[in-house]
Amino acid sequence: MKIRSYILMLSLMFIGFTAFAQEQKMSDTEITAFKQSVNTVSKKIKSLSTDFVQFKHMDFLAKDIETSGKMFFKEPNLLQWQYKKPYNYSIVFKNGKILINDEGKKSAMDVGSSKIFAKLNKLIVGSVSGDMFDDKEFAITYFKTKDFNVTKLIPKDAALKKYIKQIELSFDKQDATVNQVRLMESAEDYTKIVFKNKILNAKIDDSAFTN
Amino acid sequence: MQKSTIRLLPINFLLVFLLVSCGVNPIRKLEKVPVAKAAFDAPYFSDPKIDYVYKTHISVYGNDLSGIFVVKKINADWHRVVFTTEFGNKLLDFEISENDFKINSIVEELDRKILINTLKEDFRLLLNKKFAIQNQFATVSDAIYESADGKYYNYLFVSKSGQQLQKITHSTERKEKFSIHFQSENNIFAEHISIEHQNIKLKIELNYLKND
Repeated sequence: MKIRSYILMLSLMFIGFTAFAQEQKMSDTEITAFKQSVNTVSKKIKSLSTDFVQFKHMDFLAKDIETSGKMFFKEPNLLQWQYKKPYNYSIVFKNGKILINDEGKKSAMDVGSSKIFAKLNKLIVGSVSGDMFDDKEFAITYFKTKDFNVTKLIPKDAALKKYIKQIELSFDKQDATVNQVRLMESAEDYTKIVFKNKILNAKIDDSAFTN
Repeated sequence: MQKSTIRLLPINFLLVFLLVSCGVNPIRKLEKVPVAKAAFDAPYFSDPKIDYVYKTHISVYGNDLSGIFVVKKINADWHRVVFTTEFGNKLLDFEISENDFKINSIVEELDRKILINTLKEDFRLLLNKKFAIQNQFATVSDAIYESADGKYYNYLFVSKSGQQLQKITHSTERKEKFSIHFQSENNIFAEHISIEHQNIKLKIELNYLKND
């Protein structure tokens, strides 16, 4: 009897812990409230600068490939990713062009020449500002954990879906901005980007977006 | 990113440049010495515990493409090779052994037979671990082992001072086709690798990513 109650207690604890760790589906009212708060905040974002750490996970590797740097965004669509560690690589999205500086080697190209790239670009900007709730483009589901609201987006576009199976955006419950992005290429392989030290609406000059 | 792959399209024209050439393989003109050992074991890419991760720059006919190459020895005979963009998007994923080759995934823009065959040939040589030696030559600084490879020959340049594999040249009877240069501090791991083609304007540079 004693053993049985002990096992029961253990399993209850286990269930309790899993429930705690797992995400729960949002209710319809929660979804409406969440979307509203994100939209309100993202409308107020005129600029954003943040540090980021990127983890490339592939199941056959012993360790994730970790890179890090700074990201700058300015309304409506100026975007710069600066990788600083372990290499210098900067990519600027500006007026339909992509400017790359790879350890001093510079190159440029048009976004328009590849539809898939235009979509990816929109996706990246959307991930950063949180402006992603487009039901025409994605099948979206909503979850919550202790600290985050999580949206999972499955692309509807067949071309995009070939490269990205699912996008997960984790929003900070405190300020309703994106804290973490996970781009899943398959069930095993994904890229996770974690934002740190976010600064909203500081003055960033257009001229900062050069390479 | 994905888009930059489109700029590899000029590689389609590579065939045009694969011209038959005449001449004599310059290594064969060097001093021939007795063969010191029957086989040479290449030291790089041989540890299954290591993730070999390299920042990569490819220039092909004046176009640039960059990304990250990852190589992992997955069993006794096979390596897995993945090429991604800096953002992590996978462009190419294949597995290669001495005699076999299997593509796991490839983006449309890179899916060109000529490009795949070139990479297959380059990486097969880069990852090959054992070379049977038929002839040996010498310069002041290097021992050069000749290893037959079908209708081609591989020449392995090993420094006399540090016994380091510094270069492999893939040649026909008459002419060098491409060569792989290694820079290694410990002779186990190559920090810098460059693959240079002679008959096409293609250069692949790999720099080890220190992931502390």
